Amino acid sequence: MRRDKRGEDEVVVDRVACTAHGVCSVVSNGAIELDEFGYPVPSRLTMGRRDARELVAQCPARALLIARDR
Amino acid sequence: MSLVALLDDAGLTGRGGARFPTSIKLKSALETGADLIVNACDGEIGVHKDALVVAEHLDALQHGADLLARRVQWAAHRGSATERRLRNAGLRVLPVPSRYVASEESALVSLLHGGRARPIMRQAPISTGGKDAQGRRLRPTLVLNAETVWRVSQIERHGAAWFRGYGTAEEPGPRLVTMGGNVDRPGVYDSEAGVPMRDLLEAAGAVDVRGVGISGMSGGWLRGRDAWAATWSDAGLAPYGIPTGTGAVHVLGRSACPVDHLAQIATFAAGESAGQCGPCMFGVPAVASQLERLADGVLPAEEMLDLHHRLGMLPGRGACRFPDGVSRFVASGLRTFSAEVDAHLAGECVLMQERAGATR
Amino acid sequence: MNETLWYVSRATGTLSIVLMTVVMILGLVLSGARQRAGTRTTVIQGVHRSLALGMLTFLVLHIATAVAETYVHIDLISAFVPFTSPYRRFLVGLGTLGADILAAVIATSVLRQRISQRVWRIVHRATFAMWPLTIWHGIAMGTSNEPLLRGTTIACAVAGGVVLIWRIAGSHRDSARRREVLRQEWT
Repeated sequence: MRRDKRGEDEVVVDRVACTAHGVCSVVSNGAIELDEFGYPVPSRLTMGRRDARELVAQCPARALLIARDR
Repeated sequence: MSLVALLDDAGLTGRGGARFPTSIKLKSALETGADLIVNACDGEIGVHKDALVVAEHLDALQHGADLLARRVQWAAHRGSATERRLRNAGLRVLPVPSRYVASEESALVSLLHGGRARPIMRQAPISTGGKDAQGRRLRPTLVLNAETVWRVSQIERHGAAWFRGYGTAEEPGPRLVTMGGNVDRPGVYDSEAGVPMRDLLEAAGAVDVRGVGISGMSGGWLRGRDAWAATWSDAGLAPYGIPTGTGAVHVLGRSACPVDHLAQIATFAAGESAGQCGPCMFGVPAVASQLERLADGVLPAEEMLDLHHRLGMLPGRGACRFPDGVSRFVASGLRTFSAEVDAHLAGECVLMQERAGATR
Repeated sequence: MNETLWYVSRATGTLSIVLMTVVMILGLVLSGARQRAGTRTTVIQGVHRSLALGMLTFLVLHIATAVAETYVHIDLISAFVPFTSPYRRFLVGLGTLGADILAAVIATSVLRQRISQRVWRIVHRATFAMWPLTIWHGIAMGTSNEPLLRGTTIACAVAGGVVLIWRIAGSHRDSARRREVLRQEWT
């Protein structure tokens, strides 16, 4: 597994855990859009490693995960 | 020759609808020492083939299961005749609540491990094991449809060449098809990919065909005239954007209103959500209520855009493929029966007017 | 000097209760909001998290000064192990128990990304026990000759109680729908 500080990570939404707080949309500056019920539209999103960490930490429902390397 | 290689030669794919190569699943299962769940739930609406396999080929089915794993569980809907037959044969039965999503692969694995029969969100295939949301450890578990297991036993007995003698090069092997709806002789038929759909429709005695639904809620629709001309295979149905899937064929007669039918199924689907993923637990009921209003002739035409937008928001946003299936099913229906939909938007469906008159 | 410590201890104790109540109220608003607005939620969560850590400063000061002063006898052990204090064993013990639970709540929150969500949730729910214990400790130990301190604690009890009732009384449609479906047959 690669674990350099720079580079990119893929953030995935755990749909069962997500409870539509909408924090991911705010923290990602709107990169993650919400549907009419308040749930994030994309199920996965690639972004800088640090941003990914920050986004994951901010989810109140812990519904964002860093995708496992395959 | 190993069973994996034999199944690979035969080209057997999952008969539960997903069409995944069984040899690949088995290979990984053997590596992890996975348990086997034989899925005999007939979870898709309009499908009765698992019940037939259990009723008429139980010995061969058991033989197939023994080839695949040492520990086998038999999943069947609680209270069904299939459950009773399996129990009478002394098999270890996993009673499954009679719910649409309860017989989905990961839902069965969850149930087997003492959880609820609801799909599990996963990053890796559920067959490799893992953990559920409650932190329960899940053993590696191979889930195969009952017809698939029966085919394994047939391939082991008769060989890959025999199997490939049926179907097409891309979709080999015999397949069971469940015919239902407006037909004289509903039931399960022996068939194979590549046969004309006309043969299936005639065998079951379909008349006055307005449309044909394929593969229940996970499939889609054909107009009557297309159905008579189409070839029964994934390749043959690809132009209509639908798969053969679970092998269910539902004939909608001329006297049935397809919009009404879509609304009924969508309302049923709304009640079948496992209530785990937001896009499903709110999106499917929202779609259903719009369809109900369309069926009642009170949906404003401009709301069709919302309806299509909502359908587009369902796929790929759940722990399982249930919302994807509902989306495809409804979108295909709206496309196939666009003339009837337009009539409803104008308040002109004959059946609808009759119904309104009856309730007045 | 000793008297100063005694007063610092009581002041920081009251302040800890105020902050703890605010943090709890913010947490209840986070989980209990009927309507969810991303920006508001993000701000409330930020304050909830940082204030919880900020509160620790006052709580540590409260405990340290309570042990250090010699006006009454509270030893180091009773600062960690509930109900072992020579002085007012039960009431001091309530505060110690509250602090222990708080330590667990904060530790699991700091480690949230590394532990299971289930463990985090169970520990976090212990707040519902921690808060009343602490309020009880505060009201019972505050003396009547300082109505300001006791009054503040009572005000916290009322505010927290009201929000608790609001939290229990309703929920967001996400949790309502989940509960509704969960009541169906799934096993």
